[in-house]
This record gives sequence, structure tokens and C-alpha cells, in this order.
Amino acid sequence: MFPRFSDFDRTFSLFDELRRRMDRVWDDYEPDGFEAPNLSFSAFSAWPKVNVYDAADSLVLTADIPGITEKDVKVTLTADSLTVTGDRKTVVPDGYTVQRQERPSTHFSRSWTLPCKVDAEKSAAFVKDGVLTLKIAKAADAQPRQIAIRAQS
Amino acid sequence: MNISPAVRTTAPTQPEQVDQRQMTISPLVDVYENAQEILLFADVPGATKDGIDIRVDNGQVSLSAHRDTTSFADRENLAPIQSEVRAYDYYRVFAVPTGIEPTKIEAELTAGVLKVRFPKSDALKPRQIAVKAG
Repeated sequence: MFPRFSDFDRTFSLFDELRRRMDRVWDDYEPDGFEAPNLSFSAFSAWPKVNVYDAADSLVLTADIPGITEKDVKVTLTADSLTVTGDRKTVVPDGYTVQRQERPSTHFSRSWTLPCKVDAEKSAAFVKDGVLTLKIAKAADAQPRQIAIRAQS
Repeated sequence: MNISPAVRTTAPTQPEQVDQRQMTISPLVDVYENAQEILLFADVPGATKDGIDIRVDNGQVSLSAHRDTTSFADRENLAPIQSEVRAYDYYRVFAVPTGIEPTKIEAELTAGVLKVRFPKSDALKPRQIAVKAG
């Protein structure tokens, strides 16, 4: 038997780490492993990850931003574009040594061209449990309208 | 917001509970250590205090965090434009030194980050050996 933490073990722990990281890449891409991925290439690398939905009268965006409070994130909205920027600092607490560091310290910025004109005044954003939610109101002339159908005799 | 989820030191999850889980991913973690304790941070966005479960068993600590999916379900009838995040739970297991005091583990959840303190027992703490002159 090899004693624990010998050089031999260390070498193999590197392989273990590599395997874990590769697993993570696939996990991130397609966590359940079965459904056809509904993801763009940016889902691989972009941070934070977002979902965007079309809710008829508004657009809804959610972004996973763990560790970021409302002070560290900025949302900029123009008539047809959206930018989310922010900073996340992961600081090593004083007097501690690092055993493992996977959570990135990052400055991020993601932008989208919006599919329709929006009304910045009526839009709202909040952060809860590390998830940013944006409700962007569509401009009045971009909202869907019901067309009344008359019977014609 | 600082809230402390309950720390349990019970047996591992029963199989029937596992079946009900939604798909899981392992959260990203930072682990720091000093003479007194091991400090762990895990990114669990969307998880709430009630969904967090920390178990200590036989030299292993398992962290699981449940992400409430109702917000995803609410939007099922909305048209997705971009979809990078899906509803999932977080689960990860760590080996810990046997000298960790299971009853003194503390956890708090702040802005989607779970922070767990594992205090070391006296046996694990470094000791200064006095050298006597001969």
C-alpha cells in the first residue's frame, strides 16, 4: 500500500481533478444529459447564465448571480438594447489558506439586442437569493393586440 | 440577509427521497482553512434556506440545496427566447477530517452563496511544542 498523500497519490489526484472539471463542462452544458440542448454557444462560457422569456406585454430576464448584491450589478436599458454589468469579488478571508478555489472573481458584461421597442420607465429589476430578475415592459406599440373578428353575412 | 439553515447529522438521504429530486449539478465551491476551522463557500443561486440540507456522516459532508422551481414553472407558458439555466438542485459531497466537530457546524445563506464553517476539534488544531534545554 502507498501511504496517503504520497507523490503517487498526488499525480492521480491531478487526473481526478481533470475528470471532475470535464464532467462539470458537460454538466453545465446539459445537466440532465437527455433532452436536446436548447442552448446557444454562449451558454458554455458566458457568465452569468441567463434565461429570457417573452411574456406578451413584457420581456423577463433572469440571471444567476450568486454573491452579488444590488450594489454590484448595473442594468442599462436603451430603446432596443439591454446591458447587464457587474463585479463579483471572491476575497480570501484574512488568515486563511486556500484549499480550493472554483468560484471566479469576475467583472462581467452581457448585452442583448431586444426583439422589440421597450419602455424603460415601466421596467423593474430585483435581486433575490442570488438571482437577478428583470421585467422589461414592451413599448405600447410593440405589445400584442387582439383583432376583433366580425361575422360577415 | 443572514439566515442559518439547520445542520443535521443524520444518516444519508433515503432512496425514495432521491427519486423525487430534480436533476442535480454540483455547485462551485471555495474552501479555505486556518488553524481553527475549515470555511466553505458554495454558489447556490436560487436556493432558499428551507431547501438546504447539510449532513455529516462517516467522515463525509454532503451539501444539498433545493432550487425552487415554481418560478420556472410559472414561465413555462411564456415563450423562451434564451435558455441557459434550468431548474436543478445542488449536491456535492466532501471528505472531511475526522476531527471536525459535527455539532458545531454553522451555515448561513447570503445572496445565493452558502457559507459553512467546520470548526476543528482540539485534536486537529496545531500545537506548539515547547523545547526544553537539556
